[in-house]
Amino acid sequence: MGAAAKPPVLQLDNIVSGYDGLDVLKGISLTVHAGEFVTVVGPNGHGKSTLLKTISGLVPLRAGQIGIDGQRLSGKPHETAMLGVAHVPQGDMLFAQMSVLENLLMGAYLAPDKAEITRRLDEVYALLPKLADRRNQIASSLSGGERRMVGIGRGLMMGGRILLIDEPSLGLAPLIIDQVYGVIAELSKAGRTVLLVEENPARVEDLADRLHLLDDGAIVWSGKPAELMARDELLATYLGG
Amino acid sequence: MVDVLMAILVAGFTSGALYALATVGLSLVWGSMGMLNMAHAAMLTLGGYVAFTVITSLGLPIAIGFMGAILVGAVAGAILYFAIVRNLLKNDKSTFEANVMIATVGIGIALENAILLTYGGQPLKQPVSIAGTFRVGPLTLPWQNLLIIAVVVVMMVVVSLALGRTRMGRAIRATAQNRDAAQLMGVAVNRVYLQVLMLSGALAGICGVMVSSMTQLSPPLGNDPMLKAFIMCVVAGLGNLPGAVAAALGLALLESFVQYALGARWGFPSLLFVVIAVLIWRPSGLFGRAEIRRM
Repeated sequence: MGAAAKPPVLQLDNIVSGYDGLDVLKGISLTVHAGEFVTVVGPNGHGKSTLLKTISGLVPLRAGQIGIDGQRLSGKPHETAMLGVAHVPQGDMLFAQMSVLENLLMGAYLAPDKAEITRRLDEVYALLPKLADRRNQIASSLSGGERRMVGIGRGLMMGGRILLIDEPSLGLAPLIIDQVYGVIAELSKAGRTVLLVEENPARVEDLADRLHLLDDGAIVWSGKPAELMARDELLATYLGG
Repeated sequence: MVDVLMAILVAGFTSGALYALATVGLSLVWGSMGMLNMAHAAMLTLGGYVAFTVITSLGLPIAIGFMGAILVGAVAGAILYFAIVRNLLKNDKSTFEANVMIATVGIGIALENAILLTYGGQPLKQPVSIAGTFRVGPLTLPWQNLLIIAVVVVMMVVVSLALGRTRMGRAIRATAQNRDAAQLMGVAVNRVYLQVLMLSGALAGICGVMVSSMTQLSPPLGNDPMLKAFIMCVVAGLGNLPGAVAAALGLALLESFVQYALGARWGFPSLLFVVIAVLIWRPSGLFGRAEIRRM
């Protein structure tokens, strides 16, 4: 059975959201099924981060519906997290004065017991061994790449139904971007359900099951990554070639 | 000379311990909520009067008086949250700091006057005191000072363990450092704010008992320690708890030395001099981090 035949983990129906008097998202609908890796690409400032923030509740929903496993979200971020939405935000948003370990433990804030926390921690350290070495280091003293890894590790510690990852390559050196995407590829192989937003579609060409092109707060094209990469006119029009 | 020096140190450490307790309560609320609680002085006074009532009027043991002050302080913090803070948080976040400061000024005045109406303006003796002294070598030290230092040390250890080792404490620190990220982890920040105000109220309550045991109970009891606690918060850097304790002890020792060397009237001006110097030299405080806000 293909991934798309499974029931959707995340369902967005015609969602509208924005800041102050401005609508940034203008009626977006998409679904992410269990085990799928879905990517939304688009130029800067066209609503990619707002999309993830709206799903996780940081930006209020103005119209439409968001559902997780068929359950409608309340719009409160902590209740959304309880339903299994793990958001790895842009710019990491780490707890700067806490250690790496404390940041990871905050990811497991909703975990039911210590055994589960230990299990998740072992899993994260196995995927990101550098975090184990740095466990007692204060987050603010980490490099950009390490901070990004902690952000991803913290998201994994949430043990959610779906991982929302916001532009993991932003502001990193090319070598570090490769390392970060290496980790994301491992998540994809492990069958994690992921919704990732990214400016550069080439980064996710081999990872994403499906890809949506976002422009001015609306989805203007959907398909397989390879199909988009073959459409020079779309790349030129929406992503500057 | 050694006797004098030791007496200054003991006095400095005792008032430093009291200031630290008051400062930590204020700093905790500012650090996690961005709220200057101007009613903290009245909550401190309330704690002193609650202990007095429990011990004197109800005739219960001193330990129950302490518990009563802690409990009523925590309840006062909860009432402050439900009556004021929760409603102001629903409004525009950019106006919260100013609005809550003004609102708590009003709450503080109302509470102080309610105490004045209930107990009258005449000073009362707080029964939480230990008479007598003990000798360490050539020094004669009052038991009361030792009690205050011991209680404050215990409270600091409890607060430190609560913030550092418990799930609730981690949520408080996470909320203080990054509110949005804490929410994404599943932290209900409104519940954290309630917990912080209750914890701060409990600290104010016990601080009120300790302060009044050194002086006397009167409705404006909390104003002087609170004024100094604000100074210490600013010198340390708002929201920095270890810095607040260090600043409280350091400034209290300075105040004691200045009072001895130049006279009692120069104690408070010396603190003001320090805060002005710190604000010029390091506007974010000795232990604070610079903060840039877009206006």
